Amino acid sequence: MSNKKKILLVDDDLDLLEQNKILIESKGYEVITATSGKEGFETFKKVKPDACVVDLIMEEHDSGFILCYRIKKEEHGKNIPVFILTSATYDTGFKFGASTTEEKEWIKADALLNKPVIIEEFVQKLEAFFELKK
Amino acid sequence: MTKIEIMNTYKPKVLIVDDEKGLRIGAQRLLTRENYDVTTAENGTDGIKFGTETEFDLAVIDLKMPDVDGLEVLQQIKAKYPNTVCFIATAFASYETAVEATRLGAHSYIPKPFTPEELLSNLKEGYQIRLVNLEAEKWHKEREERLLEVAFEKTRMNTIVNSITDGVLVVNRDGLAVLYNPSALRFLELPRIAVEEYILDKLRPEIFELFKKIVEEKSAEQKSYTIQIELKPNREFFIEATASAVLHPGENVAGVVIVFKDITELKKIEFVKSQFVSMVSHELKAPIAAVYGFLKLFNDDSIKLSPEQKKEYENRSMVRLDGLLKMVNDLLDISRMEMQTVHREIKRVCIHEVIASILELFQIDINKKGIHVIFDQDEYKQCIKADSDEITRLFTNLISNAIKYNREQGTITITLSLSDDYLLATIKDNGIGLKPEEKNKLFTEFFRAKNEKTKNISGTGLGLSIVKRIVDSYSGKIEVESDYGEGTTFKVFLPTIISN
Repeated sequence: MSNKKKILLVDDDLDLLEQNKILIESKGYEVITATSGKEGFETFKKVKPDACVVDLIMEEHDSGFILCYRIKKEEHGKNIPVFILTSATYDTGFKFGASTTEEKEWIKADALLNKPVIIEEFVQKLEAFFELKK
Repeated sequence: MTKIEIMNTYKPKVLIVDDEKGLRIGAQRLLTRENYDVTTAENGTDGIKFGTETEFDLAVIDLKMPDVDGLEVLQQIKAKYPNTVCFIATAFASYETAVEATRLGAHSYIPKPFTPEELLSNLKEGYQIRLVNLEAEKWHKEREERLLEVAFEKTRMNTIVNSITDGVLVVNRDGLAVLYNPSALRFLELPRIAVEEYILDKLRPEIFELFKKIVEEKSAEQKSYTIQIELKPNREFFIEATASAVLHPGENVAGVVIVFKDITELKKIEFVKSQFVSMVSHELKAPIAAVYGFLKLFNDDSIKLSPEQKKEYENRSMVRLDGLLKMVNDLLDISRMEMQTVHREIKRVCIHEVIASILELFQIDINKKGIHVIFDQDEYKQCIKADSDEITRLFTNLISNAIKYNREQGTITITLSLSDDYLLATIKDNGIGLKPEEKNKLFTEFFRAKNEKTKNISGTGLGLSIVKRIVDSYSGKIEVESDYGEGTTFKVFLPTIISN
């Protein structure tokens, strides 16, 4: 069994999915991909990843939130970091940049990452979580 | 009225009615010297004639005349000019005639024969009476006019205030409702208001704050304050309230006038607009992010890409940029349609020819997917009057969808027919089809059916929105029938006679 950490990456934009897969893999992680909220949850249950990175807007405007919510309700999900990936911020007018504590609490995501992903920042945040678990 | 003002030069007009020639001449001479403007009449008939022709200040009427009785002359003159001060002159004075004369409107009576002094003093007094009467009448008339004006002003104001759709509420310093119109009730959410009723405790806190702000305003320069309140959530009822001070002379705040406006429609439009802008910016961001991501991979030294990978990513970048360009063009089209700056050239357009040329254009895509197209342009010859570019755009979008969302080796059936005054074009595919919930949102901007089967199909999400706009602009109709997994049929109805 490989000792690489498994990251589940969910995005309905196939180009971005592939790019982020390459980037994350280049930092020494194993990446499993899914292209919808539904597929993402099924894959999550099957592979039990060490972390999840979920795009916000997929089938619906809040697919990412819902997937995140479902993952966090699972026993395994409670112990792993789930990051939400989004280009939708307050300045684009969509009101779910999760900048208020209330929203963060509801969303249950461990971090919100803006697109495009800055891989170093991502790795830093991810490692900080893994460090905490030890 | 000017008579009074220029009294110094004004000669009071006197009418002497008497059948005695000597008296007439004597009186004329005397009165002319005393600065009167004298007219004489030698009998009752002339007396009535002169006295009712022009308004005299004074009249001295002989009681006994051969033709018409002096009292008759008096009555006629008084009927026409009630302010002419009349004297009855008679040698046969009796108490009864004096009373009768006064009852009929004579000021008093002068017994004959009279001395010049007696005549002058009577006329002088009579003229004073006339002046006082005229003045009184003037005041009376002015007062009446003013009252009428006020009454008219008031009903007019009420009518105006009551008929405007904006709400108006005037509250005095003490918080009593002084004036309101029926519309105000809707904005205040009150069933009724009694005039002079204490109203502050019935106002919403936001409106009460407005009132307080105005009343407590210290500075001499009075301001207005405006707030917007969402009375019913989800933009169902949005109002704007503007409060300004009602000032007493002396610049004390007498009360506050609050005007309410229904801004629901405005808020709805604002919301749709901002949603559209959000969607546009998000949809534009996605392809940019994708291309940006590929370029970053190319430039990242720590990432080794094979030549094949590189080639593939270049192609994928191109596809995304191509999509972006299409989307920008679609957006421009929509904006042009919305601003109605589209230059239309209405002429005969033959739909079967348009469709045939579109099919030719898409031949490569059709062949690639192995799609079988059933369309016999000789069988369905249908022409209407329309703008050829718009009709081409309409059918291009529909046919392109029928290809894109079809299955491999699928079928597209196109028929044209007449249905009453409409041309009916049906475009039927047996591709992916639509879920019932997708059908409703089909014509909304940026809506794309997102599911397992469509995720590899590119599109702007604007195509059908443009189709709908074109169909609507011709007062046509578009219907969609679809079963998920079975295929979709679009029915386009276009009027054969374009009204514009």
